[in-house]
Amino acid sequence: MSDVDTASGTDRVRAALQAASGSISRTRLLLIPLLLFDLLVFVVPMGYLLRISFAKRSVGGGALQKGTWSFDGYQYLLDSSVVGTVFRWTLLFGVVATLLAVAIGTLYAYAAWRASGTTRTILLAGVVMSMFTTLVVKLFAARLMLSPEGAVNDTLLATGVLDGRLLLVNNEIGVLIGQLYIVLPYTVLAVYSVLTGLDEGLVEAANDLGATPVRAIREVVLPHAVPGMAVGGIIAFAWSAGAFAAPLLLGSASERTVAIEVQNLLGQFNYPGAAALAVVLTTVVLVVLALGIAWLRRRGGLRDV
Amino acid sequence: MSDESPTRTDGAGETARPGPTTGQSLFRRVNVGRWLFRAGVGTVFVFLLAPVVVVAVTSFGDSITPSFPPAEFSTRWYESFLESSRWQRAARNSLIAAVGTTVLATVAGTTAALGVSNLSARAEGAVLGLAVLPLLVPGVVLGSSLLVFLGEFGLQQSYLAVIAAHSLWATPLAFSVVRASLSRFDPRLREAALDLGASPTRAFVEVVAPNIRSGLLAAALIAFVVSLQEFVMTLFVSGRDTRTIPVLAWNELRNTLDPVVSVVSTLLVLVVVLAVIIGTLVVGIERLAADT
Repeated sequence: MSDVDTASGTDRVRAALQAASGSISRTRLLLIPLLLFDLLVFVVPMGYLLRISFAKRSVGGGALQKGTWSFDGYQYLLDSSVVGTVFRWTLLFGVVATLLAVAIGTLYAYAAWRASGTTRTILLAGVVMSMFTTLVVKLFAARLMLSPEGAVNDTLLATGVLDGRLLLVNNEIGVLIGQLYIVLPYTVLAVYSVLTGLDEGLVEAANDLGATPVRAIREVVLPHAVPGMAVGGIIAFAWSAGAFAAPLLLGSASERTVAIEVQNLLGQFNYPGAAALAVVLTTVVLVVLALGIAWLRRRGGLRDV
Repeated sequence: MSDESPTRTDGAGETARPGPTTGQSLFRRVNVGRWLFRAGVGTVFVFLLAPVVVVAVTSFGDSITPSFPPAEFSTRWYESFLESSRWQRAARNSLIAAVGTTVLATVAGTTAALGVSNLSARAEGAVLGLAVLPLLVPGVVLGSSLLVFLGEFGLQQSYLAVIAAHSLWATPLAFSVVRASLSRFDPRLREAALDLGASPTRAFVEVVAPNIRSGLLAAALIAFVVSLQEFVMTLFVSGRDTRTIPVLAWNELRNTLDPVVSVVSTLLVLVVVLAVIIGTLVVGIERLAADT
């Protein structure tokens, strides 16, 4: 190999390296819109909320005394007689709604995955439609259907399942049904999307080897569905512990959630109190989610979430 | 090998075939289980779609208070909608917010999906985490934080505030849809274009974009629909002049049951149906369902 060739060879390598590193750093630049957006609209506003939770409450007009530091907001939460009760109810509600959403969502996703052709399309279209319908419409319709004179009670009476009207609104049942309307489509799709990666032939193989359908589901499908169930559960819990619209529209005063309380405090211009409550709620939700993920990881059910 | 069900509609279909060692009792038990399973799935399906049917039917009712099923039918509430300047204002606001969100979320989501491809696993995880985190923070908290923060600049109740709030939800979804689409794209095609002397921009426009076109369109559609239906954050950050249809509908529902709410809900559902149909035609319902 001559010197000239070697020189041009290293030149070429250097040029290629430069081009590569240039293209890598240019690719990194593509992250700027997302990072800038999340910084300005998410990180900084949340930081500001945290700061406000440590400000002094204003005595006269105005929502807070700017530039002051105090634990007024958190003290208010501790002194309040309702916050503790509301918190307990909200978390319990979040857990129940999550378990129901994941269980029903997994069954539905499994049905859609095993179905073929038109049936699969119809089952999936139903979920996508529901997901894309604004929750105001869903809750409004739910209230119409579930009211004592609504279609659900009428049907149950007409078919003789019931001999008296059920109270399905302004109580826990109404709130739970309303919340399921909001989170169920997401749990279904989370599970469905991981099932699409599983070969249907495996289930049939299990059946051919003599496994009962239930056993085939438990030992072949469920292990594969766990990451999807986890993602669905994470979303369901975050949104149910932060439930706001369903309890307001379908519940009564005893189904008040933390999120409703935050709005009440904002309405009373107690900004430090509202901010402190929002900070505590977010922290609790994220800690519960982190614990849940860690528990699933330790049991080896999660590869990547 | 013959199965008594000609169309396999659910999970238990194939499994009901009696094996050589299993007798009639197991066959019957499996059969009962299969029908229970089908009934359950059918109930959930009805449950999911019932609201759409209910609002569509009540929108054609005649009474002052919406009831289901309505006693008499009329189109009078459609006329009141067309005459109401408040609802039209809300419809315009919804459209402005949806278009703004579509642009912002699709651009931020697509660029980020392209950008993370060359990162180390850890850095990619960090970007993903940051992008997804807003989805896990309760809407009321996000709404409150935007209200107090943007309030410092007098920007609360502006279109910008509404678009920013909607994009918090739409961007991670657009990001994940485009990323899924890119994972099906062979990166060597782009490298080939670069080797042949195309600039990165030109390689994206002429090689990458056409190959992930359906993903880009799905991302834009999802962003559009997410914006149309978002409610909780909008309730906090919008004002009288910028409130969207879901917020006005909510306000009406809190006062009286205005039948126009049914009309508006029906029209909103129609727009969504249209979007889902377009999405289905472009990428197929199965991918639309799996990628979001």
